[in-house]
Amino acid sequence: MTTQTQDPIIDLYRDSFPDFARMIRRMGGSLDEAKDAFHDALLIYMEKEKAGQLQVRSSRKAYLLGTAKICWLHARDNGTPLPLPENFDPAEAVDEGAEEREQSLLESLVRSGRKCMELLKAFYYDHCSMQDIATRFGFNGRRSATVQKYKCLEKVREEIKSTQTYA
Amino acid sequence: MRDQLNEAYHIDCYLLRQLSEEDTRAFETRLLFDNALAEKVEAQRSAHRLIRRYAWRQERGRLEAIYRLLLEEAEFAHQLKDIFI
Repeated sequence: MTTQTQDPIIDLYRDSFPDFARMIRRMGGSLDEAKDAFHDALLIYMEKEKAGQLQVRSSRKAYLLGTAKICWLHARDNGTPLPLPENFDPAEAVDEGAEEREQSLLESLVRSGRKCMELLKAFYYDHCSMQDIATRFGFNGRRSATVQKYKCLEKVREEIKSTQTYA
Repeated sequence: MRDQLNEAYHIDCYLLRQLSEEDTRAFETRLLFDNALAEKVEAQRSAHRLIRRYAWRQERGRLEAIYRLLLEEAEFAHQLKDIFI
């Protein structure tokens, strides 16, 4: 017996993953491969939904299964998981060291300012309004939150410049 | 500060493709002649990528937690066991 939860992602996961796992099993894949591809697809799904860019023609489950299958095929054929960055440019992927430098830079930024990264995530990824951010992070209002967001962004930009990750 | 905020906002609009075609062309023309601005744009582009990477990491953790939670449901766990038996 399954129960409906408050989190629609949990319900979508419960309803969709066994069917996807069955599909991957038939194509010779493992449970771990199925899970990784399914999570990649869910990341894409959630990101598009947050950005108001999700265009589902039939059902959420069909969309998810189709996306997950593409992710699995991509990982199988290329050895690298999706999702690719927005506006992905293959020319940018030539520098294999960039990935490691970026990861290292992210670790450093999280260590030195997790709150800043949370604030930037709330704005750029979760698409929260400045008023919501002010409430959530305890600022006096939109203006104060906007200034703090700028300071956090500037901190990240300066760190990037100093490590020349984008070079 | 206001100028700095406006500039960062304008760069965001450019990177997120929220400018009109005309404004995009004008901005890209400025980039050709303003090295300091071009440097800020590239740093901000990288910042967007890092923020996205940070968000993905959190969301992956959340999805792993959901998977473990669902494995505690007998029906879900049995379905997977039957598939990969």
